[in-house]
Formats: sequence, structure tokens, C-alpha cells
Amino acid sequence: MKFRAVLTDYGVNLLERRFLPALEKIGKTCHILLTPHYVILLHNVLNTVGVQAIAQFTKEAIFDDYRISSQYDDRIAFTVDLALLSRALKSSVSMDGDLLQIKLVKKRAKITDTPTPYLTIESKGFRSAVVQDVPITQPMPRREVEELQAALDMAQDLPRTLVQVPNLLQLTSLVERLKNVGEVLEVGVTQYGDLHLHVSTTLVSIGSEFRSLRVLGVRADSTSVDATLNSSERLREARDKGLASVVKVDVKQFVKSLQCHHTKPDASFCGIAPNDGCLLMMFQYFIPGTRQTDNSISLHYRLPVLLDGIT
Amino acid sequence: MNWDNDSDSGEVGRLRCLLDNVQGLVDALTSVRWKKQQDALCEISEHGLVFTVEEWSCLQARVYFRKELFRTYEYEARARPLFGVSLNLLVDCLNTFTSSSGSTALELRYPGFDMQLMLKLIDANNICHNAEIRTLVPSSVPRDFSVDGNFDSVSPACFAVKSSSLKEAIDDLEWPGSSISIKICPDPQQVIFKGEGHGDLQIVFPYSVHADLFIAFQCDREVSYKYKYKHLRATTANIPSSILKDNRGSKLTIGRGGILKVQHLISVRQSPMDHNHSYQTQGVRVSYIEFFVMPDEDDPDSPRVS
Repeated sequence: MKFRAVLTDYGVNLLERRFLPALEKIGKTCHILLTPHYVILLHNVLNTVGVQAIAQFTKEAIFDDYRISSQYDDRIAFTVDLALLSRALKSSVSMDGDLLQIKLVKKRAKITDTPTPYLTIESKGFRSAVVQDVPITQPMPRREVEELQAALDMAQDLPRTLVQVPNLLQLTSLVERLKNVGEVLEVGVTQYGDLHLHVSTTLVSIGSEFRSLRVLGVRADSTSVDATLNSSERLREARDKGLASVVKVDVKQFVKSLQCHHTKPDASFCGIAPNDGCLLMMFQYFIPGTRQTDNSISLHYRLPVLLDGIT
Repeated sequence: MNWDNDSDSGEVGRLRCLLDNVQGLVDALTSVRWKKQQDALCEISEHGLVFTVEEWSCLQARVYFRKELFRTYEYEARARPLFGVSLNLLVDCLNTFTSSSGSTALELRYPGFDMQLMLKLIDANNICHNAEIRTLVPSSVPRDFSVDGNFDSVSPACFAVKSSSLKEAIDDLEWPGSSISIKICPDPQQVIFKGEGHGDLQIVFPYSVHADLFIAFQCDREVSYKYKYKHLRATTANIPSSILKDNRGSKLTIGRGGILKVQHLISVRQSPMDHNHSYQTQGVRVSYIEFFVMPDEDDPDSPRVS
């Protein structure tokens, strides 16, 4: 099993400044799956609890001179502490060396210890080099790698309708305040571009409605529902006509997932999976200096749906 | 007025008003929020809204939000509507409306079809925010401390200082862990705060016309009373720091029987805060907050008027 690559400046920026801070909000540790073509960071893919996050990069987006080999179709998977990885990358950047190399090694702290695996990050400058060892779990055996890959493949389906969230920071600010009012957030997505957010308790009912958002996928005309009705009546009518989906999610989990604004996406979308399976947030990134989607980077979050207010 | 979907006015009375800057109302209500769960009594009249919060029958706060602070204020009633509402819920709901950008007004209506308080705001990005808050039938009428304290008498002992100075002094007085005595002296003209607990702490505010500390001072004869620290603390602890930076004054008056009245002014800008403009260039009005604190009757050494 071997892995060695050189981190590009852009790759370090993507990870250390943008993606690792966002993923740390979901959980302290995550899986990393390295394949011959992709580098994938995954949260909660093997369980159904908590926010599932999948950040996928082509190897060229982060690395130069990428070399990988293993007995499992040249795939390697392990778990890493995101704070440690982030700190190591940050201090490597401050070294301002010529080359930032990362590789998988096994080392022993003392001669009597058994060798344990690390991701070693080596920053080589003109006069000095800094080596940082980030501890990782034992790379996963074939069975577990297959399991991870299967879970990843299952998570590729997108909802039939997605609406574009116009201002992610404003949505984050709104949902953070709704968190103080109640624990369960009802999210409604319609095919004519309306996004409904609603919190309801015995003492209060509070909601926000985003109208006429950009729609990706299956769409309907906004005249399909009676515009004279109020917000909740319109959503009910749309749902009855099959033009909308409504699910309930844990508002704290939704707030965590919205911390993805740290990744600085250029477009954010929200949709509900078929059969109301989960709430999906999808993010797109533009190639720097253009408005073309950079297909080498993708980020999805999936929030588990609450049934009747409980998981 | 179009009261679609609202209850028949009957004897209840109706209000529909538009508020330009929700943050001002949030700041005013936050100032009287000294516990996690509090119920407030809301009275609606032709003059505006009054929110009253009471605790332990010896601490009361009132927030006066006059009708001039609203863009429009449409009120009709035979008797003044009075209802209870969760203060914390009201503030948290209003806070979600402050996350909106732009200068569209919050619409507040009472009553809804089920006697709810209804809030609605459509912001500059055409996002529509709605809230319906359940109201409660009040179980009692709050005590009228302003009458009991006889604060309109000819010469109550009183003084006014910057709110930040008062808050700092009260924060420091936590240290002795005891009741705090407030003594207003005519000669020399000064105010003395004192705590004697597991240590002694005395803070003296000397009055001088030339110094910056006092905004006003009035005292004919020495007055001194003790107050429980937690009650005193409630009068300043929750004033938002953005309000303290405005440098407005707080006035303390000791009335009949030692009832302490603490008054604050909360700035309410007519449009959401624009940091590029000082508040002299935009319209700034004020909301009044009053706290009433009963003297500490448990303390047998509690001095009185000399």
C-alpha cells in the first residue's frame, strides 16, 4: 500500500482554508477515500445518524505527481482527525517551502512500539524541512473499503427538483435564529421555485418563504397553484398536486450543514430526495475567474429526515 | 383597514402597525430579559405598547414603545387590550426578522383569529417572513409601582449618569456577595454604592458640575436603602452593548418606602443601522425602560431615610 503526492498551493487553500473548517463543524473525524482519480472526504456515510457530507475532488484539483497503489484496486481509506490535519497544513503553509509533499507512512514513536500509520506532511525549503506526522487509523481492509465505496455509489442520486438558494449567508443567519425558537424545521421545496422553512411549537408558528428561485430539474409553472392563498395553504395545495415535497429535519443539524459557507460555494441548491428520504444540499464551485462550473470539486450534504418530529 | 382572517373585534380591540427598525424593539425587550423563561404582559393603547415583566413581587420592568416609533399605528378599541406573551419567544421571533436585509417594515397585528400576535415582513429580496405567537390570558394585573413610590412628589432624591458607568459599578458590586446599599447625599453631593459581604466594596460617585460623570443630581436630604444584588443587577445586566455605546443616560430615583426606579433610554433608529451614518443624520428616537426594585426587607440593618 503506497500513497505519495505533492500538494499544490490551490489544493492547500481548498483544504485548509475552506473545506476542512466546514467539515469540522459536522464531526471531528472523517473518512478519507483515495482512489486513482479522486480524493474524497466523507462524514457519516456508513451510518444513518447525523449529517452526511461528501466532498469529492479530482486528484488534479489538489495534487501534483499523485501516486497510489494498493491491493484493493488502488484504493486506500482511513479515518483522520480533521483538526490535526488542518493544523499540520496550516503550519506547513507558514513554512513557505518549495515543495509540500504528503505520503502514507508507518512509524514507531519508540523502538518497542508497534508501527502505526501516519499521513506525513513534509515541507522542504531551501535551508530546512519540516515534517509533520498526522496520526490516522489503520487503513481499512478490502471489505470495509468496498462498503465505503458502495455507500458512496448509493449517495450519487440527486433529487428530481433542486432550487437555488440565493444567499447562503442570509439563510444561515435565519436558520440560526430559528434554532432558538424550536427544534424541528419543516422544509418545503416546490417545482415552481419556492422554498418554505417553518418552525412550529405549541406557542409559536414561524416561517419564511423564498419565492421564484431558480429551479434545476423537473419544474412546474407557478400558476399551477392559487396565488391568492397564504403561504402554508399554497404549499399544501402544491403538495396535494404532487408539485412539492415537505420534510422535517433537526434544526441544529441544518445549522451545522449550513456551515458549508466556509467552503465559499458559488451556487447552493436545496432539494428533497425521492420518497422524502432526505434533505439534500448541493454546492457548485466556479473555475476561478470564470462563471463556469468547476467539475473537479463537488460537495453534497444529506440531512436525515424526522418522522413525526422524531428520528 | 382589512382584517381578513382576524377575529371579530368585539370588545377586544385591534392593532395594526408597521415598524421600520425591528432591532430597536429587540434591544428594548432584551434589556428586561433577566431569565431564560419569562412571561410579559402587553398592553396596547392609543399611545403605543407597554410590556411589563414582574418577578418575585419586588422587581418589575416596563418597556414603553410609543406609537411615534412606528411608521404607522392603527388602533381601535373600546377597552385597552391586555394579554400575556412569552417574552423570550417574542424576542427570538423578532430576532429572526432582523436577519433580513433592506428597509421594509415589520407588520404587527393583534389579534389573529385565535387571539395570536401576528408578525409579517417581506424583505427587499422578496422573502416573506411570518410568525404567529400564542397569547395568554393575564392572571393578574401588575402592581403600579409608580404610584406606590410617589415618584412625582416635589423632591425625590434622584441622579442620572451614563448607562455604561452605572452598569460598570453594578457589575463590580457583585464581588462582596451581599445586598447593596445606595446612599444619595446632599452634602457633599455624592452617591455611594456599598456592599458588605465576604469583603467590603464601596463605590463613590462624587457630583461635580464640571465633571462628565453625572447628567443630573437632585437631593434635599440623605436617603439610603439596601437592595438585593440580583434585583439591582437585573436593571443593567441585559442592556445590549450596542445601546451602551450610544452613551445615553440612566436615571435612578429613590421614592417613598425606598422603592428604586431605574430608567434607561434605548435608541430606536428610524431605519436599520447604517454604520456609515452617525445617528445625528438619521432620525433617532427613544424607547423608555423603567425598572422598579423594592428595598431588601430581609436585612434588619437596612438603613432608612436620615
